[in-house]
Amino acid sequence: MRNAAVQKSSPVGSNRHLIILGSLIFVILLYIASTYGYSAIISSQKVQVFKMVFISIIIEAMPFILIGVFISALLQVFVTDQMMRKFIPQNPILGIITASVLGIIFPICECGMVPAIRKLIKKGMPLYVATTFILVGPILNPIVFLSTFTAFQNQPSVTFSRMGLAFLAALVIGLIVFQFVKTNQLREELKQEKNHHHHTHEHHSEKQVKNKVIEVMGHTVSEFFDMGKYLLFGSMIVALLQVYVSQNSLIAIGNSGPFANLAMMGMGFVLSLCSTSDAFVAQSLQSVFSKSSLVGFMVFGPMINIKGVLMMLAVFRTKFVLLLCTLVFVLVFAGTLVLQFIL
Amino acid sequence: MGHRLNSASMHHFLKAAILIGFSIYIFWLTFSGDILQFVVPQLVIYIKIAAGFLIIVAAFQFYIAFLSLKKQVIICDCGHDHDHSHDHDSVFGHEHHHLLKNSIGKNILIYGLFLLPLLLGFVLPNNTLSSSLVENKGMNLGGISSKNGDKGAVVEVDGNADPALKKLFKTNVYDKDYAKLGMKLYKQNVIEMKDEWFIEKLQSMNTFVDNFQSKEIKIKGFIYREPGLSNNQFIIARMGMTHCIADISPFGIIAEADNPDQFANDSWFMITGRISKTNFNGQNVIKIEVEKAEPAVSPSVPYVYPDWKFGSKL
Repeated sequence: MRNAAVQKSSPVGSNRHLIILGSLIFVILLYIASTYGYSAIISSQKVQVFKMVFISIIIEAMPFILIGVFISALLQVFVTDQMMRKFIPQNPILGIITASVLGIIFPICECGMVPAIRKLIKKGMPLYVATTFILVGPILNPIVFLSTFTAFQNQPSVTFSRMGLAFLAALVIGLIVFQFVKTNQLREELKQEKNHHHHTHEHHSEKQVKNKVIEVMGHTVSEFFDMGKYLLFGSMIVALLQVYVSQNSLIAIGNSGPFANLAMMGMGFVLSLCSTSDAFVAQSLQSVFSKSSLVGFMVFGPMINIKGVLMMLAVFRTKFVLLLCTLVFVLVFAGTLVLQFIL
Repeated sequence: MGHRLNSASMHHFLKAAILIGFSIYIFWLTFSGDILQFVVPQLVIYIKIAAGFLIIVAAFQFYIAFLSLKKQVIICDCGHDHDHSHDHDSVFGHEHHHLLKNSIGKNILIYGLFLLPLLLGFVLPNNTLSSSLVENKGMNLGGISSKNGDKGAVVEVDGNADPALKKLFKTNVYDKDYAKLGMKLYKQNVIEMKDEWFIEKLQSMNTFVDNFQSKEIKIKGFIYREPGLSNNQFIIARMGMTHCIADISPFGIIAEADNPDQFANDSWFMITGRISKTNFNGQNVIKIEVEKAEPAVSPSVPYVYPDWKFGSKL
């Protein structure tokens, strides 16, 4: 999937691929139909479960991704780079703290955040601010606070550990990115270097109003498809894993000590839950897992998960995404180790 | 019109069609009520708005598509690919030419990715997932709080309830809502596990296991068996959903019957019985001694939902 975005233009005209792919699919369909029969495919339990999980994830994410791409389109059309620059504090610490608090004002999860972030960076938001926002936004917001607080009603320390660890991890990562990552990390820039040309956006001022609306809508659509394919692919993998991998196999990694933390972080990565609902899943695992590992689940999962990483790959260079994953992993794991002694 | 359907317009039309497809599918789900098989009721309104928004976006996309038949609609994007010149007569917004630039095979893959959920959605029936997922999820018997909970001051709940009752439901500050709910349940002749507060009631009874001994309970759910249970035991459970299917997990009570064979896995039953207690995987949990059982039909929406604000509704 990732290659789809990196792939340099290949001739559009070649129909050969089409024929090859079409016949391949046809052969596979024929094979399946002849071996199992059409009705067998429909009634198969696994296919059913896959379908339900897959569509459920998409439908649930739909409002959020639409908000994300729409904001992104609005930013593209109406916000100039200068406006953005005025808005972001120059001091890195202040910038990072601003980014952390942004989530409180815009409580949307990463499905909505990632599409908007690309535009924000292009409009001049510093990378370290954007990184902090992406990482901490899905966790440090009132909706997530309330749901975690409710799920862990009898142990508020879990809620505060979650919020605190998320904030600290994002702060440190923001500072690291500020210090060490100076180059542009947006994926498209790879191509732009090759295909460089400048232009201004002042054409057709007479049709401004009409054009602006269509411009926003045109953007919304292309962003939707651009991000959507990553979301869909991610949802598909998550659904497949839900069908074929049982939670017990992760529990088998360990349910006490550092291994429990690792197991739960892995679970957060695989399940790719929305940060507003993962607290109840964590609560249901309370009897088996230690509190520190549950915090690991609820901090690592929303920051780094299959669905989210795929969407980040649409925006950032692969190397940068890997760097982020590593940093988040190390910091959150270290954090859960500390929490083991406190909680 | 004499205009060729070029590859750019085809992309525009395809995208518009997919957008319409998604909004029709979502509206169809909301009107048939099947949407509740996928997400929790609180989300439905947002999903309706999203579907409405999709229609508007699709309408504009159709407009752009028709325009593209007449003249080249170049949609460029700062920072995206700029492999076009600006000497054309109309510029409408911006377009990321990812899809256009890729080979046809890749296009099929990408559009296929968008069509797959629509195809699955329209072709396959929506079936309710009850126990088919339990194996992958692990059963949830509740009963966790007291030993794992934070150490808060032990208090009685406020209000003017019977003092003796309050003493019975003494707990730490954080479990007060469960104590209140427990007191309410305690006063009932038969504790009925309905859809509302299924999870909260379960939690409450498991927090105060000893207080509910030999009380009568009535519960409807599906049957599930787990290793570690004895031969005459099974679990009667409901699926709890917080947001969408990705986060469903089963919540249940261990039941004990003289004739366990009549309770087949996956089937739905209405069970009446008396509460006693048992120890499962190191937790003290309530158990039902089955007195009466009759087969039941599974509800059209099989899920129960956690209520974030149940404490304030008590």
